[in-house]
Amino acid sequence: MDIVAQLKSTELAGGVFTSMLVMLIMIILAIYIGIRAHFHNPLKKPKGMLLVAEIGVTFFENFAEGLLGKRFRMLGGYLMAIGVYLFLAFIFGLTGLPSPMTTLSVPLSLGLSTFILIHATAIKYNKIRYFKRYVEPLPLFLPINLISMWAPLLSLTLRLFGNALSGFVIMNIVYFGLQNLSAAVFASLEASMGSWNEVFFAPFVAWILHLYFDLFSGFIQTTVFLSLTTIYVGQEAPEEYLD
Amino acid sequence: MTAEAMKFLAIAITMLAVMPSAIGEGLVVSHAVDGIARNPDVYSKLRTTMILGCSLVETTAIYALLIAILLIFVAK
Repeated sequence: MDIVAQLKSTELAGGVFTSMLVMLIMIILAIYIGIRAHFHNPLKKPKGMLLVAEIGVTFFENFAEGLLGKRFRMLGGYLMAIGVYLFLAFIFGLTGLPSPMTTLSVPLSLGLSTFILIHATAIKYNKIRYFKRYVEPLPLFLPINLISMWAPLLSLTLRLFGNALSGFVIMNIVYFGLQNLSAAVFASLEASMGSWNEVFFAPFVAWILHLYFDLFSGFIQTTVFLSLTTIYVGQEAPEEYLD
Repeated sequence: MTAEAMKFLAIAITMLAVMPSAIGEGLVVSHAVDGIARNPDVYSKLRTTMILGCSLVETTAIYALLIAILLIFVAK
């Protein structure tokens, strides 16, 4: 009870709440699939959700292995978590609630987790030589290198944020225009229906744009984010170990 | 010129960045079509790479659009 009152009193952006909803859906799915997988007889064929989950795990592990080689097969788990979250977050705009991606802190935290993963991989493979990159080719370049270090984070974050926000704003403009058009065409109905004469055009036009801005764009951005994550992480590993 | 007019001029200049991005995207698709015409078997492989490359090139335009939106709603 106390938590509910606390949640109501905090001023959070709408995207953070929808992000929590997406995470809730993912947690419920993960627990359900985990229980199914735990009690499943490995000698029998998997069915339903379990089959989908197994196909997904295999796909993401092969994706990481195909781009980076065998020792990065464990990256598949991270890629699957991020990929499922991103796609769900993008298509969450279909429900009418604001997509989590339209609040800057959500794509920023996604970008930050990838950024930390990149540098952790670099430290793991380069040990103390990791810090040498900041003074190359001369110690004079230290400030420039320190600034350019943040470029991947900025590019990953703003790509997601810009894509979702531009789609959101364009959809709002389209909805606004269609409302006014409908109100102008069916102005004679205002006496009997009130402001309900604004709803006649949007259902016939908006779904095409939703198809592009939410589904297609979301899918493409998920793919791009995952590919960039894999490529950035793979860059940090020394090449002679690549198999 | 008033401050409002300067703001919209700034938005227009920002959106100029969309032009080279469009040219780049056209180059990506044109080369992909060249490749497919030369060797139609690679169509399914090239399509994925092409869409990925297109959206990477598109990023510049998205940055410009983001800055324009910020200028419209945030700048005073």
